[in-house]
Amino acid sequence: MSSQSTQSLPTILTTKLYVPPQRANVVLRPRLVERLNEGLGHRLTLVSAPAGFGKTTLVSEWVAACAQSDPKVSAAWLSLDEADHDLTRFLMHLIAALQTVAPTIGAGLLPLLHAPQLPPTESLLTALLNDIAIVSGRFMLVLDDYHLTDARPIDEALAFLVEHLPPHLHVIMTTREDPDIPLARLRARAQLTEIRAKDLRFTSTEAAEFLNQVMGLNLPAEALSALEDRTEGWIAGLQLAALSLEGHQDTQGFIRAFAGDHRYIVDYLVAEVLERQPRPVRQFLLQTAVLDRFNASLCDAVTGQRDGIAQLEALERGNFFIVPLDDKRHWYRYHRLFADVLSAHLKAEQADQVAVLHQRASAWYEQHDLPADAIRHALMGEDFQRAATLIERAVPATRRSRQESALLGWLRALPDDILHFRPALNVQYAGTLLISGVMDGVEARLSDAERWLEMLAASDQYPAEALSGLVVVDEQEFRRVPGAVAMYRAAIGLLQGNVNDTLKYAGKIPELAGEEDDLLRGSGAGLLALAHWTRGELESARQAYKECITRLERIGHISDALGCHIALADIQMAQGQVLDARNTYERGWQLATRGGSVLRGASDMLVGLSQLDYERDDLKAATQHLLHTQELGELAGLPQNRYRWRAAMARIRHAEGDLLGALDLLHEAEQVFTRDFSPNVQPVHALKARLWIAQGKLDDALGWAREQGLSVDDPLSYLREFEHITLARIRLAQSKRVRADQLISETIEFLERLLLAAEAGGRTGSVIEILVLHALAWQLQGNISAALSPLKRALTLAEPEHYVRTFVDEGAPMMRLLEEAAKGGVAPGYVHQLLRSAGKAVEGPPVQHGLTDRLSEREIDVLRLLATDLSGPEIARELIVSLNTLRTHTRNIFAKLGANNRRTAIRRAEELDLL
Amino acid sequence: MNDSQASTEDYDKPGDYEIRLWGHLDERWADRFAGLTIIREANGETLLTGPVVDQAALYGWLRKVRDLGMPLISVARVRGDQSHP
Repeated sequence: MSSQSTQSLPTILTTKLYVPPQRANVVLRPRLVERLNEGLGHRLTLVSAPAGFGKTTLVSEWVAACAQSDPKVSAAWLSLDEADHDLTRFLMHLIAALQTVAPTIGAGLLPLLHAPQLPPTESLLTALLNDIAIVSGRFMLVLDDYHLTDARPIDEALAFLVEHLPPHLHVIMTTREDPDIPLARLRARAQLTEIRAKDLRFTSTEAAEFLNQVMGLNLPAEALSALEDRTEGWIAGLQLAALSLEGHQDTQGFIRAFAGDHRYIVDYLVAEVLERQPRPVRQFLLQTAVLDRFNASLCDAVTGQRDGIAQLEALERGNFFIVPLDDKRHWYRYHRLFADVLSAHLKAEQADQVAVLHQRASAWYEQHDLPADAIRHALMGEDFQRAATLIERAVPATRRSRQESALLGWLRALPDDILHFRPALNVQYAGTLLISGVMDGVEARLSDAERWLEMLAASDQYPAEALSGLVVVDEQEFRRVPGAVAMYRAAIGLLQGNVNDTLKYAGKIPELAGEEDDLLRGSGAGLLALAHWTRGELESARQAYKECITRLERIGHISDALGCHIALADIQMAQGQVLDARNTYERGWQLATRGGSVLRGASDMLVGLSQLDYERDDLKAATQHLLHTQELGELAGLPQNRYRWRAAMARIRHAEGDLLGALDLLHEAEQVFTRDFSPNVQPVHALKARLWIAQGKLDDALGWAREQGLSVDDPLSYLREFEHITLARIRLAQSKRVRADQLISETIEFLERLLLAAEAGGRTGSVIEILVLHALAWQLQGNISAALSPLKRALTLAEPEHYVRTFVDEGAPMMRLLEEAAKGGVAPGYVHQLLRSAGKAVEGPPVQHGLTDRLSEREIDVLRLLATDLSGPEIARELIVSLNTLRTHTRNIFAKLGANNRRTAIRRAEELDLL
Repeated sequence: MNDSQASTEDYDKPGDYEIRLWGHLDERWADRFAGLTIIREANGETLLTGPVVDQAALYGWLRKVRDLGMPLISVARVRGDQSHP
């Protein structure tokens, strides 16, 4: 299972997960091993010291020894590199490393990391910790060379992880600088073990053992002490000294000269070592220094020789700062400090060779179908034309796997005069910038690319040389340019609030992009839909969303398609097509849970279904759908879900008579609301105003209307319709208090205007609500027969779609009107159903719908076993269920108890006396 | 120390810095520290000195020093009008 999920992620470098192998011959360091063993009782072990202090060697030797002495302890290893400053890449590799211990860890999270927008980091990490909590046995996570990440989000993620670590996981970091996590707090709580430079330095005994036994030098005591003095026990220095001494005629003389010299130890000794090597070895070392990892074949390609295998074997035998990256002795890297010095030598001595060596490496990687490395070396070799061509070829694959940040990094490294001649690449650059939220220079790139198209279209008007510089690498990519330019312009229109531009450019895409280009055509349809929706053109928006969904699904962009399901259902509800909206959400739910996994957006479908359950007065189902989302966890929701969930729950609370609870939820909803590009047609502040009406706080509601600048004389628009209907409701409530005929008649006029606008816009959902208010307004004036006419129309429109709450929520006055309607024989079956529902609602709010989240019998069983020392698989065996089922139970228990991990869940359960 | 009256604004401006390390650094690293002058002093220390555009650039240099593993002795800003000994 893990190999499958790893395969689908082409960017996972398995060499990063490999524990450096034990050397045959090492200095045993019992005093440090003891410290590391003790550290297992704490959360974090920090091995922090400058380069060359043997941090990685110490930890890898110790990890191997632990695994030998206790087979139940396993280790996940992650060697970090500069590219891990990208949070997504870091998390992918972190999960891959943890999966070497238990393949189940984070399996459900990997698809989320491929989405364009990362869910909140804390939710991701909480889910990861839950997965870790149910893994059996103790294990450790080693983060090697942590200083290379150098990014705030990574530090924050790590701090969170360490703070919430389950007791059976221990984290060890090696780093050249202290990480930016709350170390002082960990120290104060005795949760931190530190091994620092002073601990790592070789003592006299260790130095002697290293030089004489490991390196086999047999030096006399005074030579040992001179070397130790000069290197101050610095391990890299001692190792280099040993390499220099091997086969040296005049040991005494060498040591005397070294001890009396002020040069930086590494400079002095590497120069010595290199000087003593035969020319081919020296040349090999210098030339391969441009590679951050290498195998024999790559070395041969770079050096132009054929002795790669022999050279690598000799280097490994000779302790030449070479680190194997896999257990087949296939890939290696140099110790980073050594590589740094070698490349300084290379640059100083053969500066003109550096670019050539990188270009050879790039060619090798290209032949071996590793485009990212090929591009990196082409850029480092400053062969920008070649880099640009490689990038252009890699674009379709990077687009499919959503690796926009890698793409952006490459494109930023290319000079503009190269991009200018490559319109496909230039347009891709513009798009990648837009996705990462940058607007600067985007339009310039689009028009630059477009000029080529114009010149090509009218080539007879231009001299031939004007077109000569044009570079087209991939015909298909080049054919996408016109459609892509239009698509990005449509997106810019939306970003700048210029919907007409969006309409204009998105409308052109079908003629510019091929029928088979689902990404362009689908994105175009989505943009078009948003523009129509914002303009209140619901039917056009609905059709465009349908096309968008079909195309996005076809290319596997499921989470985006789910986002469009919400928009589509919102539009269908506004159109009064409640049953269609239900189909939309049910279909979306199937899509989101197909194949057993739960995709981001699944929760949103449940919240949508809850809203529809509410309308047909099934409060129990409405509540259950909302509770179900909590079991799925935060990660199953799109960004708006936190807000929509609260708004939906507030309506249920309101219906149950808990107005204060409803108001609290709306306050929360306001806080978690995040703006997206959909029109915000039911703003929370208007929902709050409606609650104030129910609470009788008319002054607050009127204050809101004033604040929003609402008046019955306003010009009407779809975007403000909900607020205007809310204003009508406030005025009706007012006229119940003070019988002012003018107030009512003005409101009736206002409602008539609203009705015409809603009918013209095809918004049957709004039409029904407006007619209901219209009826209530006539009723207030005492004119029942006038009231019955709009009510009759409302009932006719509402019956086929099974509306209930739109009527029932209006309370006793509506009941009286419905009874009148029933006497008149209007839709008798439907009206009686409404009256039954209303009767139920009037009898008083039902008891709170099990919101205390009772645990089921089965869940209590699981909980009791969680409180034991049994591991996840052992519990599953005990209960005779699969590990997956157990995971579901555990998740539900955690959700109901509001716990993040096993420990907290047990504590809560004890507090609640559940065990 | 004699420029203690300078405001923080002054420190954000380009200025000359001296980074003092323990041990002599080879001329070979000139490329890595391009823009700074490498001065090897008689007492066995190395002085990396030269104009630094801003604080971010300074931290960039310090990171390179960190990766060498050479002990760092001091970092000091020297006034543009001061000449080096």
